[in-house]
Amino acid sequence: MLVLKNLLRSRAGAVGVAMLALMLAGAALVPVLSPWDGYALDFGAAMQPPSLSHWFGTDNFGRDILTRVLTGALFDLRIAVICVFGPMAFGTLVGLVAGYFGGRVDAALMRLTDVVWAFPFYVLVLAIVGVLGPSEANLYIAFFVVNWIGYARIVRGETILIARLEYIEATRVLRFGTFRVLLRHILPNAVTPALVYAMSDVVLTVQAVAALSFFGLGVQPPAPEWGILIVESIDYMREAPWMTLFPGLAIVWIGIAFSLMGEGLSTALKPKG
Amino acid sequence: MTRLTFRALLLASTLSCAAFGAQAETLRVAMGYDPVSLDPIATSDNGSIWTQLLIFDTLVRPDASGEKLEPGLAESWTVSDDGLTISFALRDAKFSDGTPVTAEDVKFSIERAASKESSWGRFYRPITSFDIPDPHHIVMHLAQPFTPAFNNLALFAAAILPKAQVEAKGAAFFDAPVGSGPFVLRQWTRGASIELTKNPYYWQKGKPAVDEAVLEVVTEPSARVIKLEAGEVDVALDPPLNQLKELKAKPGITTGEVIPYRADFVQLNTRYAPLGNEKVRQALNYAIDKSALIKGVLYGEGKPAASAMPVMAYADPDLKPYPYDPAKAKALLAEAGYPDGFEAEMLVNSGIATQRNTAIALQAMLAQVGVKLKIQMLENGTQWSTTKAGNYQMSLSYATSDTIDPDQIIGFVAVNPERANAYHTEWKNERLNELYAQERQTVNGPERGAMFREMIQILHDGAPFIYLYHPATAWAEKDYVKGFSVLPTSNFRLEDVTIQK
Repeated sequence: MLVLKNLLRSRAGAVGVAMLALMLAGAALVPVLSPWDGYALDFGAAMQPPSLSHWFGTDNFGRDILTRVLTGALFDLRIAVICVFGPMAFGTLVGLVAGYFGGRVDAALMRLTDVVWAFPFYVLVLAIVGVLGPSEANLYIAFFVVNWIGYARIVRGETILIARLEYIEATRVLRFGTFRVLLRHILPNAVTPALVYAMSDVVLTVQAVAALSFFGLGVQPPAPEWGILIVESIDYMREAPWMTLFPGLAIVWIGIAFSLMGEGLSTALKPKG
Repeated sequence: MTRLTFRALLLASTLSCAAFGAQAETLRVAMGYDPVSLDPIATSDNGSIWTQLLIFDTLVRPDASGEKLEPGLAESWTVSDDGLTISFALRDAKFSDGTPVTAEDVKFSIERAASKESSWGRFYRPITSFDIPDPHHIVMHLAQPFTPAFNNLALFAAAILPKAQVEAKGAAFFDAPVGSGPFVLRQWTRGASIELTKNPYYWQKGKPAVDEAVLEVVTEPSARVIKLEAGEVDVALDPPLNQLKELKAKPGITTGEVIPYRADFVQLNTRYAPLGNEKVRQALNYAIDKSALIKGVLYGEGKPAASAMPVMAYADPDLKPYPYDPAKAKALLAEAGYPDGFEAEMLVNSGIATQRNTAIALQAMLAQVGVKLKIQMLENGTQWSTTKAGNYQMSLSYATSDTIDPDQIIGFVAVNPERANAYHTEWKNERLNELYAQERQTVNGPERGAMFREMIQILHDGAPFIYLYHPATAWAEKDYVKGFSVLPTSNFRLEDVTIQK
């Protein structure tokens, strides 16, 4: 809670949180407020430009784009959050263990990260989704396999630094258990840079999810995931540019929101004094 | 080499280059498919077939109307009254390396098309022996009547190849093939382009009118149109149908379209429980608003389909498509024991915008009668192999006919057991199978026509597919391109095309 308070105190953080909150509020309220069904077809109303009744216009099936973009936020944010904070939890644990125990444990775990690191991000994700088949669950698996290493490396580095500090030395004298030291004294300090990194990772992940859907490897239609909205709009880009524009802006919006939150977090979590 | 000849060569090459620069005309065509192979007996994909038909000739070929066969390498022919003997007189044609096309080459090519290695063997095995009275004449004998035999010789699989070269080079021949068609392959960059130059020995004197033709592989439909507008290509095949109207209005660009021998449908795997029930399959057909699909997905460029057969020879003009009647669909589903509908997964080719859009529309339409469709987007090859293996419930697909006789395609979509077991639906109708066997032994005429009409009626009623539409195939070209068109068999010829800048 303290973190959130500090986050809101920084201007960047406050704006970022507000932008995210606005998007989430829109997504939550759209079934209540929108007069349109984001899935029903109405060919008679196809490709209408933005107007008072359709703020973002309609797509080639006559579906309201505002409704679809806001509904899509639920897909993209859900996927991004699961694909970032899941691997983050695992990677943080690995980094803690590797950094604290050092020696062979560290060597083994870090070589494992090297192996995953050696493959370009998209190559690995595409390969995994390609083998398992396109679906939301397999998307999670692919991101889990690939995404944890960044966190493991960051947290390992921090842990090595922190483990040498005086207050950790002091825990040895006090004969605290290993778990207590790791989880209560090292983790809260080591996780800070990982959390800041996670904010930019969310941005990358939203883009990656959209890109995978673009290739037909992610979420399947008619889900209004933003990548799907964009791929569906390609052939209509010249007649109905709003079909591409608004989902694209939504991705940018979320990108800015999380980037600002990342900046705010790094200020908020900086040790005082 | 002496200095003198070297100089002469240099001079000659400079001169020919100059001449080339002044006159060489290149026709550039953007097409959406990347050919798999140029071996005519190994392929069934459109990119390969279209390219082969520019390089190789067949004895006879469909004419531009798609209703008759016209002379190809054969100047004339006679089919005996009992259908057991077909004689051909070959014209004085040469392969692109200058060697003459002989009856031996014809025999070799047809035997190769009938061999075990051929995917199209059944089309040619009924031809059991050949007589070659002289290099310009060949007589083919059938042991039993097989009416489609003559027409099958117009298929790409029966392309005439130079015997000596294929025997000498084996599979490598098809990397740099030699044919008697209007063009010669100069370079094939997989995934990017096929560069062709004109065959100097082509039998239609003075053709092709252009010196070179380049087929550029551009898979994204919008990208083909942008290339056309930017002047990077002269013809764009299959532009997005929604952009046709806008393209027509653009100065310097004209468009054309035909409804080829093609039908689009959803394959229903009859081994999957609800779809094994005929009433369920009919209900699905009643649940689809075909006119909305044609308006919303094809932008008016198509006609509703009554069966999986294209509208071609022996089609029944009175056979009406299933009307849109969701109430009747619900009643049929209830009768079949599915009053609340059911769930099914449908495979869709992720690479084709029209297919993606149709899938989304079908999902919404079927939801109205309680059938929950889950869409699975797949890459083309995966969709093909998955349906072939029978590991699917529904699959959005289509069939095109490469010939003008309906025997090829009815064997493909309706007959089981056959090559595809009713296009992998595993649906089976004994009466239809019987008619198929009879049709193949009946000479062309009203009697054979009646057999086809009965078969198509059975296919319509049995509904192993959800019948959708016959879509138009469009192309857009620069207005200086004259004489280009897509044939009813979906391929195109370039020998008559001229550039009039």
